[in-house]
Amino acid sequence: MRIALVSLATLALTLASPAPSRADDDDNVPPVRDPLTRKECGECHMAFQPAFLPARSWEAIMKNLSDHFGEDASLPEDKTRAIRDYLVANAGYPRRLAPNATPLRITETPGFLREHRFSEAEWRKPSVGSKSNCPACHQGAEAGIYDDDDD
Amino acid sequence: MTINWRKAEFAFLRFWHAVAFGSFTVAYFTGDEDTYAMHLFAGYLLLGTVALRLVLALLAPARSPLRLHRPSLGGLLEWLRTRTGRSPLYAWMAAILLPAIGLSALTGVGADSWTWLEKPHEALSETTLWLVLAHGAIVAMLVYGRRLWAKRAAAALLAAFALSATAVPGPAQAGEPARDAIMAGYLQEARRADPAFPGFSPERGEALFRARNTHNPELASCSTCHTADPAATGRHAKTGRPIEPMAVSKNPKRFTDPEHVEKRFRRDCEAVLGRACTPTEKGDYVAFMASR
Repeated sequence: MRIALVSLATLALTLASPAPSRADDDDNVPPVRDPLTRKECGECHMAFQPAFLPARSWEAIMKNLSDHFGEDASLPEDKTRAIRDYLVANAGYPRRLAPNATPLRITETPGFLREHRFSEAEWRKPSVGSKSNCPACHQGAEAGIYDDDDD
Repeated sequence: MTINWRKAEFAFLRFWHAVAFGSFTVAYFTGDEDTYAMHLFAGYLLLGTVALRLVLALLAPARSPLRLHRPSLGGLLEWLRTRTGRSPLYAWMAAILLPAIGLSALTGVGADSWTWLEKPHEALSETTLWLVLAHGAIVAMLVYGRRLWAKRAAAALLAAFALSATAVPGPAQAGEPARDAIMAGYLQEARRADPAFPGFSPERGEALFRARNTHNPELASCSTCHTADPAATGRHAKTGRPIEPMAVSKNPKRFTDPEHVEKRFRRDCEAVLGRACTPTEKGDYVAFMASR
């Protein structure tokens, strides 16, 4: 009994810290874990999970922050670099994306378009406002969960 | 070779305690963006440590030091009266500390995926810190309590604690040092341009906040996004994203991070006014928000 105890103790102590599961199924992606990215990219819109775009898209966006879809989103060089590194390291491989296509908007990727086939009027509802307002319909958007939308 | 199990179990308990204490300390001091990876590691280690202790307590044979004893209120009162036998305080401390630490660590794990858990995690961890400090003080008293020097030290510490507790800081607006430093910076800049500058005015700040500007019809005023009531939650005019209140009474963290303040003034003055804000305007604006 005691030998079992000591063995258990030793085994438990030598096991690595359990890392949170990164398994993502069809609609769910790993959440934004980097606090800097979540803070800086989450001020004006939700910090989009890097898995939704390929690395080359994130590179293009981070290279042009002073004209970020019409807004000045520029940051000090060190923060820009840190965020770009995180986004590129955690970028995804969106399905059915042409190998030379570099979408700058997640809302223009084939996966998004396939899942959001409804009237443009939906986006203009007061509760939604814009296509970048994922949490308006997806309760778990900030956590990377998109398979339980409101309707 | 016969193993002295009792010695081994006590040695393990000391080792376990060192890991728990060490990982809590590291986790507490690294709860920051810059040291986040370390914070995660220490937090997960702490969670695993607590879980291991509970598992071992369940599996340990009777009389093993690895067992956890059920805390008894009656036993505690009895011990306080007679001061004989092993203090029930040990059982009470374990019963309080293990769940507190476990819950702090668990909310931390949750906060990694659900950001709304960040504030509860922080609050729980701060509370647990005080429990840990109290635990240290109680153990010190139990072990050294008989000595006169210990009694004096305890009295002095209690007095110091009571004194610091009474020096409660006033309302958030009054004298938050980080905000004061930012205001002082703007005052210095304003005085450089005009040495006779009398100081900032919340009224001027309010006028600036509510003014209708012509540079951008979609963003005519600061209040377009921040709403007419600084205490209300605002809404980004383009994306619909909620914006935390500007009023300091509702949101005490406002205007305490100089880099963030400057970044927002840089972007938003350009967007709404079409130019940079002057130090006077910035100071007036902060003064207005600090008054709400």
